[in-house]
Amino acid sequence: MGNLMSTSFAPECTELKQKYDACFNHWYTEKFLKGKSVYNECEDLWLDYKTCLDTHLAKQGVKPMLDEARSEAPFENGGVPVEKKN
Amino acid sequence: MKIFNSTQTFDYPWDHVSAANWQKYPNEVSTHVVAVDVLRREFDPESQKLVTERLITCKQPIPSWLSFIVGGDNKSFIREISTVDRLTKTVVMRSCNMTMCKLLKVYETVTYTQDPLDLNKTKFEQTAEITAYASLRRLCDRIEDWSVERFGQNASKGKQGFDSVLKHLDEQWNGLASKTTSLLGEVNDKTTEVLKEVNEKTSVVLKEVNEKTNVVLKEVNEKTSIVLKEVNELASEIWKEGN
Repeated sequence: MGNLMSTSFAPECTELKQKYDACFNHWYTEKFLKGKSVYNECEDLWLDYKTCLDTHLAKQGVKPMLDEARSEAPFENGGVPVEKKN
Repeated sequence: MKIFNSTQTFDYPWDHVSAANWQKYPNEVSTHVVAVDVLRREFDPESQKLVTERLITCKQPIPSWLSFIVGGDNKSFIREISTVDRLTKTVVMRSCNMTMCKLLKVYETVTYTQDPLDLNKTKFEQTAEITAYASLRRLCDRIEDWSVERFGQNASKGKQGFDSVLKHLDEQWNGLASKTTSLLGEVNDKTTEVLKEVNEKTSVVLKEVNEKTNVVLKEVNEKTSIVLKEVNELASEIWKEGN
């Protein structure tokens, strides 16, 4: 496992993303995998990161295609596509 | 629709593989993945399931000549939903391209499960459903239909027109061909002539230069000896007078 961390699609969000990722990876191995977790930790860091993401998703015009993809394969459905119209 | 399948085994326990999966990028093999973002993540303590929505940003995987159809942006986006089930030791990741999805859709499903025969191994399964969209087929059909129609309309009219054009061109070609041949012959002759002339001129000039040079040298010699002779005579006269 390399120590390199992936970047955000928006360079402005990379720092926030990496802070969140570090927190999440720790939670995942130390708590989630060990069955010790009772809630989704690192939420505060993620909210800061998400605010940045939302701004740039809109700015870079990714939002419309994301909305479409979400309606086709909802998060609540685990990403399984809903019935195709055609 | 086409389906692609592949299965592999990792020699690591499922826990390690599932943790490493979050840190898969960047790696030196998948250099086309330039960014990974977490768009949404929910953990259900009861079922012990973790669902994550990610945005994978890639460098445009299409050839540059095609990019004018898709747009100039060289980034392409993939959305991925993963579900980690800690209790069954399974990770399921479903992804689909968002860029170019009107033309082509690639639904990929990847699963990591604990090998039931060896707990220190993880089974990897990958399925991709590739669908070229109806809109593309319809577009092609329409271009084809239009082309066939135009061909029918113009075929009879075109035949006559083309015949006359062919005839005209043929005549021109024949005339042109004979002209070309004679022209080439002329050029050849002219070239040899010129070369011959150049050779002749050169030797004449060289000969002339030689001759001229000889004449000049001879003249210089003669003049010099005359001058020397005069100088000598003058000198002896002066010497005589002096005595």
